[in-house]
Amino acid sequence: MAKASDFAGKKDDELFYVVEYSPEEAERIGYSNYSYWGSVLRNFLKNKIAVFFLILFLILVVFSFIALAIGKYDYATLVPDTAPAFTTPNSEFWFGTDNLGRDYWCQVWYATQISIRLALIVAVGECVVGVIFGLIWGYVRKLDRLFTEIYNLLDSVPYIIYMTLIALMVGQSFTIMAVSMIFIGWFQTARRVRNMVFMYRDREYNLASRCLGTPLWRVLTKNILPYLVSVIILQTALNIPYTINMESTLSYLGLGLGIETPSLGLLLAKVRTFFLDYPYLLIFPASIVSIISVSFYIMGNAFSDAADPRNHV
Amino acid sequence: MLKYTVKRLLQSLITILIAVTVVFLLMRMLPTDYYFTEDQLMKFTPEQKQAALEAAGLLDPMGKQLVRFYGQLLHLDFGTSRRIQSGLSVVRVIGDRMGVSLRLGAIAFCISWFCGIIIGVAQAAFKGKFIDWLGTVYTVLVNAVPALVMYSLVLVIGSNVFGMPTLYSTRNVGPSSVLPVICLSMASTASYALWMRRYMVDELTRDYIKLAKVKGLSYSQIMFRHVLRNALVPMVQFMPQSLLLTISGSLLMERFFSVPGMGPLLTDAIQRYDTSVVQTLVMFYAALSIVGIFLGDLLMMVVDPRITIAEKGGNR
Repeated sequence: MAKASDFAGKKDDELFYVVEYSPEEAERIGYSNYSYWGSVLRNFLKNKIAVFFLILFLILVVFSFIALAIGKYDYATLVPDTAPAFTTPNSEFWFGTDNLGRDYWCQVWYATQISIRLALIVAVGECVVGVIFGLIWGYVRKLDRLFTEIYNLLDSVPYIIYMTLIALMVGQSFTIMAVSMIFIGWFQTARRVRNMVFMYRDREYNLASRCLGTPLWRVLTKNILPYLVSVIILQTALNIPYTINMESTLSYLGLGLGIETPSLGLLLAKVRTFFLDYPYLLIFPASIVSIISVSFYIMGNAFSDAADPRNHV
Repeated sequence: MLKYTVKRLLQSLITILIAVTVVFLLMRMLPTDYYFTEDQLMKFTPEQKQAALEAAGLLDPMGKQLVRFYGQLLHLDFGTSRRIQSGLSVVRVIGDRMGVSLRLGAIAFCISWFCGIIIGVAQAAFKGKFIDWLGTVYTVLVNAVPALVMYSLVLVIGSNVFGMPTLYSTRNVGPSSVLPVICLSMASTASYALWMRRYMVDELTRDYIKLAKVKGLSYSQIMFRHVLRNALVPMVQFMPQSLLLTISGSLLMERFFSVPGMGPLLTDAIQRYDTSVVQTLVMFYAALSIVGIFLGDLLMMVVDPRITIAEKGGNR
């Protein structure tokens, strides 16, 4: 350390001089190895419970394929046979059989895949549609009134009406189900995005951007969207348990998927009259569907915390 | 204040009107075969069908039908049920079922507010301790696990362990409504507990709490006299809404336990094409939620005099 007496009696140009430019030094000081997604990942991995559920979910997905491959029966060739009906789980029928004597193991795992696929498609679809419309809704002032009316309209009519009408008029299948659930769900995401856009659209830096003639699309994607990442991720992750819940409710009411695409909800609905006497019919699909829902609920919350830049560094 | 109320009610009225119109138009898009029972479909000749439709005024142009429909609404004439309970006025059909839903809902409402607030307060008071953790596990499970699975578990445990009746029956109202009430209150308890905890924890970090500590108030005094009372203010807003919405019943729960309430009525009415019931129900649901939100704002104003409603402005 330099003492005060070292400087005594010296002139300014002895004390201060221009340092020569050194690229290595500049590199060392200017470079920060901060990367947004890297930090998100690091923060997420710190949350042990969330990582546990992530691994559990991945194992479940992988195992659903293995289970179908090693199962003794194939879903496509199942035939109703009343003789082995309501067999409790044994070495021949690993999850037992249902009321029509069909192997429950392959039904459960096949349904798991369909449920996961539907939930993911709907959640991602709602996210994409919701974010696009939410950005426009929030940014373009003239459209606010129109979108608000659409929101009120979709929100004040119970979704069950739309679902029933779609089921009656269009039919019941995987694609119809996915599209109609996206149609019903997108405006919740859109509303959240819109409220966030409202907060950021008139900040000074956006005003400056507009003055400099930045195109609308660039303002939306580069200036505003990054702020919304954590909200969007949370919403998308929470949409998965929500979709599974809605799908099982609809299936129970007979408005869900058709018979040829069994989901876990449909399986649960089918065994409603039997599971009091044969609890194994409930336990297997119920526990799988619960694992999927809880996993996404917890992962979504953890990921959204991790995606918030205020929790970084 | 008055101006604000009137403006807001008018806006809500328009929303309801649009919703009903959309449902009216949607229902008219269904094939006309849905108007008849299977019996009639078999027996009627095409001419007879045509005559029946004409008599009911269903072949008129859409605009004319709409105008007539609005006229009936103005006279508070909601029509008669065609299929659910043939010939009975819609008001009667809905009224009968509303009683059942309201009774179950009101009990569940009391239970879930009571339990929810207690759980939330306990979680906030013992933040980071075992009780807090237990409460969080409960809220996560109830929020994440699909309702159908939850109800099935309640049903299996309730009937196999406690020997409760598995279906609602009008002859045995008391015991047979236990499981439905439990199912109804579970989800709402979790959400009240979640918000109660959140508001309490937020309130605990305020400056005036620090001052209260410095003044030497005991922990329980701070908790009950300051934190709880302030945290209840935002909670109160949900109260009328959740009570009113119990009237509409829970679709899944009432189907699951075959409760003859409002919930299944809507899907039944659509599937059996009882248009006047559907339209009235949609109007009723929309009105309930709007009135609920409005009453909630009023109640919040009563509880906390610092809040004035006109400031909030804007549309919901």
